[in-house]
Amino acid sequence: MISRKTLRAAAAVVAVGTLTLTACSSGGGGGSKSSDAKGGKLSDQAQVSVGTAADSQGPAKAVEGAKAGGTVKDIERDDFEHLDPAQVYTNTGSNFSQLITRGLTGYKQEGSKVTLVGDLATDAGKPSDGGKTWTFTLKDGVKWENGEAITSADVKHSIERTFAPFITQGASYVQQWLTNQDYRKAYEGPYGGKHLDNVIAQDPKTIVFKFDKPHADFNYAMAMTTYAVVSEKGDTKEEYDKKPLSSGPYKIVDRVTDKTLTLERNTNWDAKTDPIRNAYPDKWNFEFGFQAIPATDKLIAADKGEDQTTMSFYASTAGDRLQKVLGDASLKDRLVKGNSPYADYYWINNKRITNQKVREALIQAWPLQQIRQTEGGPDTGDYSRSLLNPTVAGFQETDVWGKIAKPEGDPDKAKALLKEAGAENQKIVYAYNNTPKQQQISVVIESALKKAGFDVVIKPIDTKTWYDEISKVDKEIDVFWGGWGADWPTGATVLPVLFDGRTIADGSQNYSNFNDPEINAEIDRIMALSDSAEQNKAWGALDKKILEKAPAIPGITNKFYILHGSKIGGAEYDPLGQIISPNKVFLKP
Amino acid sequence: MFRFLVRRMLGAGAILLIISAITFCLFYAVPADPARSFCGKICSPTDLETVRTNLGMNEALPLQYWHWFVALFVGRTYPAWGDCAAPCLGYSFTNHEPVLATILDRFPTTISLTLGAAVVFLVLGVGAGMLAAHKQGSLLDKSASAISLTFSSMQIYFIGTLAMYFLVRQTGILPEPHDGSITEDPGAWFSGLLLPWIVLALIFTANYTRMTRSSMIEQLSEDHVRTARAKGMPGRTVFLRYAWRGSLGQIITILGIDLGSLLGGAIITETTFNLHGIGRLSIDAVVDNDLPMLMAVVVVAAGLIVLFNIIVDAAYALIDPRIRLA
Repeated sequence: MISRKTLRAAAAVVAVGTLTLTACSSGGGGGSKSSDAKGGKLSDQAQVSVGTAADSQGPAKAVEGAKAGGTVKDIERDDFEHLDPAQVYTNTGSNFSQLITRGLTGYKQEGSKVTLVGDLATDAGKPSDGGKTWTFTLKDGVKWENGEAITSADVKHSIERTFAPFITQGASYVQQWLTNQDYRKAYEGPYGGKHLDNVIAQDPKTIVFKFDKPHADFNYAMAMTTYAVVSEKGDTKEEYDKKPLSSGPYKIVDRVTDKTLTLERNTNWDAKTDPIRNAYPDKWNFEFGFQAIPATDKLIAADKGEDQTTMSFYASTAGDRLQKVLGDASLKDRLVKGNSPYADYYWINNKRITNQKVREALIQAWPLQQIRQTEGGPDTGDYSRSLLNPTVAGFQETDVWGKIAKPEGDPDKAKALLKEAGAENQKIVYAYNNTPKQQQISVVIESALKKAGFDVVIKPIDTKTWYDEISKVDKEIDVFWGGWGADWPTGATVLPVLFDGRTIADGSQNYSNFNDPEINAEIDRIMALSDSAEQNKAWGALDKKILEKAPAIPGITNKFYILHGSKIGGAEYDPLGQIISPNKVFLKP
Repeated sequence: MFRFLVRRMLGAGAILLIISAITFCLFYAVPADPARSFCGKICSPTDLETVRTNLGMNEALPLQYWHWFVALFVGRTYPAWGDCAAPCLGYSFTNHEPVLATILDRFPTTISLTLGAAVVFLVLGVGAGMLAAHKQGSLLDKSASAISLTFSSMQIYFIGTLAMYFLVRQTGILPEPHDGSITEDPGAWFSGLLLPWIVLALIFTANYTRMTRSSMIEQLSEDHVRTARAKGMPGRTVFLRYAWRGSLGQIITILGIDLGSLLGGAIITETTFNLHGIGRLSIDAVVDNDLPMLMAVVVVAAGLIVLFNIIVDAAYALIDPRIRLA
């Protein structure tokens, strides 16, 4: 999942907010309540597990004190860029899609317990043939907004149309798995009359997927909005992005792109089929265009008139207002906190810094504590424990390089390592995205590296070209910041994407140019495992193994704070999306 | 007059063509790949090629510009989005809607903001300027100049944010700014734009006060005014008919330029007050790498400035018989 506008080059002239990036991250969060300057302990971490058929039954558990009815006003910075599920990849788009779109599977949340359940399907899928075949059965009574039943033919069509040339912004995992080659060359989508023979609508209720290789976490992939259902009969191809047919509890009644969007109840949605969504409000009014500070100010003041029923999915408390908000006891009931699911790194360019001892020296010298202080202090985040975020299944708490014990950095140790490597006075080019905050951070980093005996060159890179620069293979930089969010909470969409050396190419996400045959082989072995529990455990172990080779420096995983109006109830933090879930929201009397 | 207009219109067309070409070149001068912004998180080279084809970016640059230009007159068909009828300014890369429709949707907000603010700053600015000229050297004159100068030296992002905080968030004296339709709900339209009008006008008023004051003082010292006075014409008539009319030319000049640029988008005002006008559209287009939207807003904004310059020149001839439009 990526934060909205991830890929959007952030040359904001007026407001340089916490725009994030590709892999995103406005934050990262390692969950914890660490208020001390040292590492602190991880707590309140969401745990994700796979549910049973019973877990997948609707209706969703009632929220205490919640009543149906009323209109919620939601303010956001940007409109949702896509409504066609196949094009949705951002956390904001996926969150909104919860209101109008359903998939075969989805995440049911109860406090910090998150369960992968069947959404349209009766359970979270049945693997067979060692994970090469997956079977889903649709529930009775699931319908489109026009009253027609949602069938397995719709599901098959939804998957096939993700190959169409006009779908370019969604995820591509399943397409790749189904074709085992460059999927765009293998199949052009269903519109020319050709169909995939390994996606089988066995009967109107049963859909079967067949793969050449095992995919133990295929049911997680199916929870991505990209693979949610699109009506075969109601498919208007590219036009669908403007006017999708709802399968969720609401339908779109009015929309002016980038300005307003109105949802009303979809009377053909049956709560009894839905274990995930409570859908209490009768209506949702969205308004777009609120910049970070004005949105925070509006939410701080949100205790009168229409503001009382106002909320936001992602207008998190602006950094400049954070201390004010945290220090104001009257806002406590209206403040939601959460730990970011994004991992945050300082990449080391392994193609230039080939000596592991030098990379270790960088890690030892790295001033995590000072960086966090510059970002706003302990309230803004925790020191990362490893390469995986704690929300990812299989995460094991480690501190391979002793950074949690000594977050301020250990210049003496770094010096000794450099000496050992015969690389005293090693030149390091530190590049950063040229925003005011990153400028401040670069000063802190420069000072710490100099203290540890590095010859430091600081290189600001224009925001517009930042991601193009860092995703080049041949880059004249040694260390630079980056982040990554798992597309589903297992290691499969993190470690192979970031550390498989065979993927190194311009534009690839192996930013650190890390290539280790041992790691590559282990990735292949884990991917071939058919048991997801075993696989998750293996990803956890691999995480540590990769970190021991010092390809990158784990950074700060941020915390998320957001306010809502005084009459909004059930505004629950979604620990996988770093966003407020709409599923349990209700209006207080 | 007709020959003048034809000549100026042709000149305007040439200017717009040059501006659009420069905008196009500048967009591609940035070393970032714009297509990458519209490809998924994990974007393979084939994905990127598909995006380029969809966006029309797979052609040579001069050809891309030529297609953009021709589409203005004959329309265009996009492989991924369908038909765009003439005058086609393109399909937005980000919201996949015809750019022209979006601009037409945003324009009423910009017109409302501009004209409403213009009414306020003309009444306040010209009125204060006339009073100051009339009572030259008095306390009124000095305070009018001082107040207007104080406000004109402030920036909208400062005074606007401050006004939002105190007048809207803290005290609730003024309603939250928003854009509405004058035809659907005139009351909401008026109340939603009241604060932006006032803030925008405060910044502009000073220019008009100073311009009106100095121009009227200059006019009042002219020979024909002295003659009129000597002949016994009442002071009021001299003031309004001679001095005021004489200074009108300068006021219209600056008004024309101000209206042209404001109609091209008041970026900071619209952003501060969350209004969805042309200014916001332009800044979003820059941030989003949305080339067709960027081209359109630049051409429209430039077109308005050129148009208002022509109107000002034409208005001169109507006001001042000494000027001939040859």
